[in-house]
Formats: sequence, C-alpha cells, structure tokens
Amino acid sequence: MLGYAIEVNDLRKEFQVKKKNEHFWKKKNKEKEIFVAVDNINFDVKKGEIFGFLGPNGAGKTTTIKMISTLLRPTSGTIIVNGENVVENPIKALTNIGTVLAGERSTYWKLTGRENLEYFAAMHGITGKKAREKTDYLLKRLELDKRADETVEKYSTGMKQRVALAKALIAEPNILILDEPTSGLDPQSARNLREIILEIKEEGRTIFLTTHYMEEADQLSDRIGIIDHGKIIALDTPQNLKNNLNKTNIINLELDNWTEDVLEKIKEIPAIENVTSKFNENTQNFEVKVHVSNGSETVSNLITSTISSGIKIINFRVEEPTLEDVFINLTGKSLRE
Amino acid sequence: METTIKKPSVFTAMGAVFKKEFKIAFRYPTWFISMLIWPILLPLGYVFTAKALSGTDTSSLVSFATLTGTSDYKTYMLIGTVMWSWMNSILWSFGTSLRVEQVRGTLESNWLCPVPKISLLLGYSLFDMIFSIIYIPIIVLEFKLVYNFHFVGSPLLALLVLLVSIPAVYGIGFIFASLVMWVKEANSMVFLVRGMIMVFCGITYPLAVLPNWMRNVSKFIPITYSINALRAVITEGVSVGDIKSEIFILLIFGAVLMTLGLLAFNYTQKRVKSSGSLGQY
Repeated sequence: MLGYAIEVNDLRKEFQVKKKNEHFWKKKNKEKEIFVAVDNINFDVKKGEIFGFLGPNGAGKTTTIKMISTLLRPTSGTIIVNGENVVENPIKALTNIGTVLAGERSTYWKLTGRENLEYFAAMHGITGKKAREKTDYLLKRLELDKRADETVEKYSTGMKQRVALAKALIAEPNILILDEPTSGLDPQSARNLREIILEIKEEGRTIFLTTHYMEEADQLSDRIGIIDHGKIIALDTPQNLKNNLNKTNIINLELDNWTEDVLEKIKEIPAIENVTSKFNENTQNFEVKVHVSNGSETVSNLITSTISSGIKIINFRVEEPTLEDVFINLTGKSLRE
Repeated sequence: METTIKKPSVFTAMGAVFKKEFKIAFRYPTWFISMLIWPILLPLGYVFTAKALSGTDTSSLVSFATLTGTSDYKTYMLIGTVMWSWMNSILWSFGTSLRVEQVRGTLESNWLCPVPKISLLLGYSLFDMIFSIIYIPIIVLEFKLVYNFHFVGSPLLALLVLLVSIPAVYGIGFIFASLVMWVKEANSMVFLVRGMIMVFCGITYPLAVLPNWMRNVSKFIPITYSINALRAVITEGVSVGDIKSEIFILLIFGAVLMTLGLLAFNYTQKRVKSSGSLGQY
C-alpha cells in the first residue's frame, strides 16, 4: 500500500487564555496568555495502517484530531488528508474521513438507530434505496439490527458507541478517526469493538486511533505516536518502542507502606529513571514501579533504601517492559494520570 | 481501499435536516398542545385590559378608531400578537437551533459532514417555514372561533405581506442563531429581542401613542411594517397599492438582514473553529 493517508507538517495550535478578573466590576484585565496545545508536530499515517496516538490528558490528542477532522483551524502548519488540504478544502477532505469523537452524545437520542444512520447518510449525499441498504448492512454488521427501530436513548453505552461508529462508516470513508472509542465500555463491549476495528482495517481502511488503554494500543496499532505537552516524543511500532526500552529494567515492588520521604530517597539512587506508585484497594498494599537503567547494581540499593525506611517488601519482581512502561519512561507519568 | 464520495447538495442536506427535525418534533407531543393554547391565552390579558379601560361607554372606541382607523380593537390586537408569536417561535426554534445541536452534543457530528455548514441552518429554516405555513392559519382559525376575528380585506394580500416579511424575519433569525452559538446563552437574548418587538412595534397599540424617540426606533424594526400592512389589509381592506411602500421597505430589510445574517454565520463559524468552542456547552 503506497502513500500516506494523513500528512501532518509543522502543525501548531495556540489558544488565547483570557485572565479572568476576580470581580466583574473591576477594570478589565487586557492581559492574554497564549497556551500552546500542539507544538509544531510532524507525522504521517500510512494508508491501510492503524496509527495509535497516545498521550496523557491535555497532551494535545483531541486538539490534533479536531484539526485533522476540520473542526479546529490550526494556528500554522498543514494537514493533508488523502491529498486534500483540510484548511483550504475542508469539504473535500471530509469526504475521505469518518470520525467518532470522544463521548457518547454524537447521535440523536430521540431518533432510532436506523433514523440516525439514514440522516447521516443523507448528509453525506447518500439517499433513497442506497441509504437504506447501507443502513441495513451496518446495523446488522454492528449487531444493532434487532433494536434498530428503538430510539437511541434506550440503548446501552456500548450500543450508542456502535451507532456512532456506524455513523462514521456510513459513507465508506478511506480514513476512520476514532477518539477513545472504547472509553466507558464494559470489557465485553470493548473487546467486540476492538474486533470490529481490526475487521475495518482488513478492508483496507486507515485508522487513526486515540486510546487511554495501553493494551488496546499495543494490540491494535501498527505504529504508535506518543504526544506529551503538545510535542511528539516517540513514533515507532509498538515492538520497536518496547525494544528500545530493553536496556531499562522494570522493577515491581509490593510494599506495606509508601511515603514521600521514601520516594525522595529512592530517586536519589543513581540509575533510577522513573518511579510511579498506586494503592491497591484489594491487597491494601502499595504497588511501586521503578524504571532502572542498570538493573543488577541498583536492585540492592533499592532494597536497602526501602527496608532502612522501615517499609516491608511483600513482593518483588523484575518484568519485561510493556507499552505502559515505554510511556512512563518517556513522559514520567502513567497514561491515565 | 479507494472509495469516492460525492459531495451532497445543499438541498439534499436541507431535506435531511427537515426530515430529522420533523421526526424529533413529533416525539415531544406536549409542545404542540402548548403551541395551540398559547396564542389564545396571550391576547386575553390585553383584551381584558382594554375592556377595563374603555368600560361600558363606547366613546373610548371613537378615540381608538381615530388613532387606528378601526374600532375593532380585538382584531387590531390579535394581528399584532400573531406577528409577535411568529417572531417568538422563530427565535425559540430556528434562532436557537444551532445552540440546541450544541447542547444535544450533535453539532460537531453535523460539522463533520461534507456539506456547506449553512445548509444545516437552511434546513432548520425550511422546517420552521413549513411549520409556520400550517401554524398561522390554525391561529387565525382559533381567533375566529374564540375572539370572532374579523377579516375585512383579502386573505391573499395578507399572505403576500407574510411572504415578503419572511426574508427580514429569517434574516433576524440567522443573526440570532449565529450569536447564540457564539455566546452560548439563548434565554436572555430571546427575552431581550422579543421584549423590544413587544414594546417598539405596537403589538397591541398604535405607534401614535409612543414618544417620538420610540417611534423613531420602531422604524428600524421590520416587524413594525409587517404589522402595519397586515392591519391595513385585514381591518381596513386596503389594496396592494396602498401598502406598496411597506412591501418595498420589508423587501429592503429582507435583503439587508439576510446578508447580515449570512455574514454573521460565516464570522461565527470562523470564530468557533479558531477558538475550538464549536462543541462546547
């Protein structure tokens, strides 16, 4: 498959943030701050691939998606979708794109699933028999056919998300943009949706996907771009990203206590790169993940520092890096923080 | 996978919006009942106030007829309230249409369709116009039954006045819809605009009773001319020649307000696309 479906060059988006006065009667503060949401990023999405776009909240993912799908005007830079510049020719660019934005309220809840699809078909120039056929096909394919004539308000979250996906597929676009498509779904619905996404890829469509779930990105994506503070900080296949981290060891500790003092103490150990922790409600213990660049020499220091702080080590293991570790290593935080 | 999608025409999109809004409207049946009752209730307050002021003596009607050219004060007031109700329904439905889509969460979904965005608003205006064509005769029939509404002139000429008012009325609607999408607050703006129309356009009284400065303001509101022309046709039975200046002024207002409406829509569209506030509440 030759060529690129999406080409993003020097893309930048700035927002003006007005400083609010404490009291409305005070003299207006004219000062405006510039917030850079997307900072001159460059990447290409190959035709037919699933491109995973990852980043913590506020990193610039949705801003990028909205610029690609013409909802937001870039401050500078270019986006080419299937050869069409989205700023200069948005309507033509949109004929190539189907988008599912984050959140479930993107369809009409007072219309049935079928009526929603027929409406959006017409808004893409598909009417009459052709619209009915496409609607029937998608309702069946996404297992919505049995409740196709009920209003969307009566659907489960998973069904609503499938209607949104069917809406994006109604005009058979070359490129599908999915912003957190499995967010809020139960595990079974999420698994079904991931299977559908892979089937869509098999049809030869390009998929640009953002997700909060690392396993999902790992399972689905051919390549992954990681964005943080508006900049692309890594871009490669999931395997290559993990291979690059191989020189780093991931040490998992299960501890009976965890304090800021211990954190500072551990951070002072040479070769420690990142430390993240979370409290496990079930075990009532703290799970601490430590990235070290020189495993064998650091392990003893790590154990000594922990024990000398009066903390009991309940479990200790060294793991192969996952995509989540790649993310933590690059950004210093977990994806869901 | 290379599929070619044709751009839909503005008319296809307008038709789709019309059909969609029609279906949604009939899934909220209670609003239709209130729409039938409201035009009857609204003038009652004015009619009873007029009765209280005039008392049993008909001499006050002579003074009213001197100012208005008719002693049929009920019909006189009903014409004003019909025009006010029409404008009010346009502000609430068409004027807030984009805001409603924003609150529903569907505005961005529509913006993602490969159609000129104005077709969404045009689709809403088509729905509203067809609704008005059905609704206004129903109001007139209700007035006939409840208030003994008296139609002296030609109904076709009255219809012509309504038709030439459409561009101006919808021009205001376009400007209003764009502003509401921008400022994201509909209620206070509807109250402000319909309040201005209520006071300055002589809904229930002749403009002659207004102070000079208010009469001057009323000249810049197209509804004033629609009400004047309709009253002349319905209560006095005038011919088209007698209201040609009103028709001409309404057409000029229509051209200016439609142009301003389209400019306001384009400006708002650019602004929300730049600020990223399109889908925000």
